[in-house]
Amino acid sequence: MLFRHYLNSLSAKLFIAIGILMVFGSIVFGYFLFTHLEKTFLNNSINFGHSFSDLVNRSAHYGMLTAQGRIIQETIESIGSAEGVHNVRVFNSKGKITYSSNQEDIGTMVDQNSPICTSCHSVTEHPKDTPSSSISRIGQTRMLNIVKPIYNEPACYTADCHFHHEDQRVLGLIEADLSLAGLDTDIRNQGIAMALYVAGFLFVISISLFSILRRFVSRPVSLLTQGMEKVAGGDLDSRLKLYTQDEIGALAQAFNAMTYDLKKAKNELLDWGHDLEKKVQDEAEKIKEAHSQMIHSEKLASLGRMAAGVAHEINSPLTGIVTFGHLLREKFPSGSQELEDIDVIIEQANRCSAIIKGLLGFARASSAEKTSVNINDVMTSALNIVRNKADFFDIQFITDFADHLPLLTADASQLQQVFLNMIMNAADAMEKVGTMKMVTRSIHEQGKHLVEIEFSDTGPGIRDEDIPKLFEPFFTTKPVGKGTGLGLAVSHGIIQEHGGEILVKTQLGEGTSFFIRLPFN
Amino acid sequence: MTGKILVIDDEDIVRRSCSRTLSPLGYEVRLTQSSLDGLRMIDEEKFDLVLTDIKMPDMDGIEVLKQVRDRFPEMKVIIMTGYQSVENALKSVQLGAFDYIEKPFSPDALISSVSKALGNRKDDQ
Repeated sequence: MLFRHYLNSLSAKLFIAIGILMVFGSIVFGYFLFTHLEKTFLNNSINFGHSFSDLVNRSAHYGMLTAQGRIIQETIESIGSAEGVHNVRVFNSKGKITYSSNQEDIGTMVDQNSPICTSCHSVTEHPKDTPSSSISRIGQTRMLNIVKPIYNEPACYTADCHFHHEDQRVLGLIEADLSLAGLDTDIRNQGIAMALYVAGFLFVISISLFSILRRFVSRPVSLLTQGMEKVAGGDLDSRLKLYTQDEIGALAQAFNAMTYDLKKAKNELLDWGHDLEKKVQDEAEKIKEAHSQMIHSEKLASLGRMAAGVAHEINSPLTGIVTFGHLLREKFPSGSQELEDIDVIIEQANRCSAIIKGLLGFARASSAEKTSVNINDVMTSALNIVRNKADFFDIQFITDFADHLPLLTADASQLQQVFLNMIMNAADAMEKVGTMKMVTRSIHEQGKHLVEIEFSDTGPGIRDEDIPKLFEPFFTTKPVGKGTGLGLAVSHGIIQEHGGEILVKTQLGEGTSFFIRLPFN
Repeated sequence: MTGKILVIDDEDIVRRSCSRTLSPLGYEVRLTQSSLDGLRMIDEEKFDLVLTDIKMPDMDGIEVLKQVRDRFPEMKVIIMTGYQSVENALKSVQLGAFDYIEKPFSPDALISSVSKALGNRKDDQ
């Protein structure tokens, strides 16, 4: 399995391809080299054969000229006994063996169809008279057969024996069979040596190739693969530790750069996604808030319309109840049960009136008509209203209005209602006796330009636990029948409607300050 | 306590309340349910103080106040309002009303306001 996996790898494919090419190349190269070598060896042997036959010719020359057959025969026998010489024979022109290293052959005729004859005679009409050679096989041994014509020459036809006529061109043949066993052994040994060299060369080259491919292809590619698998698995922090200068190194660096970009892009995308999610959430909340504000406003508006209608009708009968209640209570002695009962009636009638007043406040808070308003003017008119009222005769008003206060876009009557409410609350807190400070100023906070209106009283202050509930509707600290708990709630609504806020600072036993902050536009 | 007071209000219970509160104190109280009728009465006889409602069918109290201030500047006017609105209160004070009282008012509030109005008148003289 592992081997099969390896076979599929790039380096294995390269290795096998190069290996096959090398083996094939070695075989072809070896074959041609071997063939060439064999041919050269053989040519050398043939040349040697011709030299040999020439040597035989020259050795027998003297014997022939002197017509001493015994000497010729001895010479032939002597030469024929040399190593590697199978036999040496001399033919006359008629094909009769006249001398031979093998004495039994002497006197026999050579068959005219034997290769010795046909090599010259059957080729053309005019017999060839050049030396020739051929290779035959005797048993397991190859033989080189050399045939050399013995040419006529003046020494031959002028010799004392007058054996040969001048016109005769070829006098006979020298034939020698030389063993090629030694040559074949040499060639075989050379072949084996060459095959061993090539095999050794192939082995060394294969080992080198294998380690080179492993070092420069397999390992980097496997590192590359592992790194890419990591990145594909989501690990965008992994980096390929390949710093070679080749193409794979360049690929690794490019891949690292890509991974970095991918991580960056992913992070941007994630951030963007988070931002978007947050924005969508914020928007959804805003819309929800606006929607509930709208529903709230509509509720208040319809409540207001109804309250306005009811207020006028109900306040008159309430006046009757209060007035006649008071007239009735004078008929009873103080401390009597009846007096207490009548007080309850009066108290509850006043409470009804206060509730209606609060409802009207809500109605007005929902329908603002904004114009350009000078806060100081609104404060002054609010103050003028209360100053003439008997309830405020024992309150000392201190005013400190800033000059050149910027104009605000606001509903003057709503703001006046808020300011009156602040003054009345302060008066109630101080039980109609004390000092009230009213200040207007322009301030900067968090880059915003605001107008701040301060109302400070010398009342008893507000308890810590009551502060968070101050602006809740129907929350009041005033005695039953006195407050409705709607004044501050309405004021808060109006100020919020104007994009402002109301802050409270209070100290038990010393007094309370309300700060109304309104933004420009 | 002396003084002649005219009460204009379309609601009978309010007129009766004013009458029952102020008459026992010695004030001479006249009542009418119509503002036009009230203005006619002012023309016919002299009053020290007019107590008028704002919202009435024939003519609203602000108009009554204007006419009274125009024709009898020394006559005090106290506005009674059942429809508590800052605008009307402000307007009435600006137009020269001596005071305004919100319905439902207690006898003490009414007496306090009326006695101040008539007390001032006496100081002026």
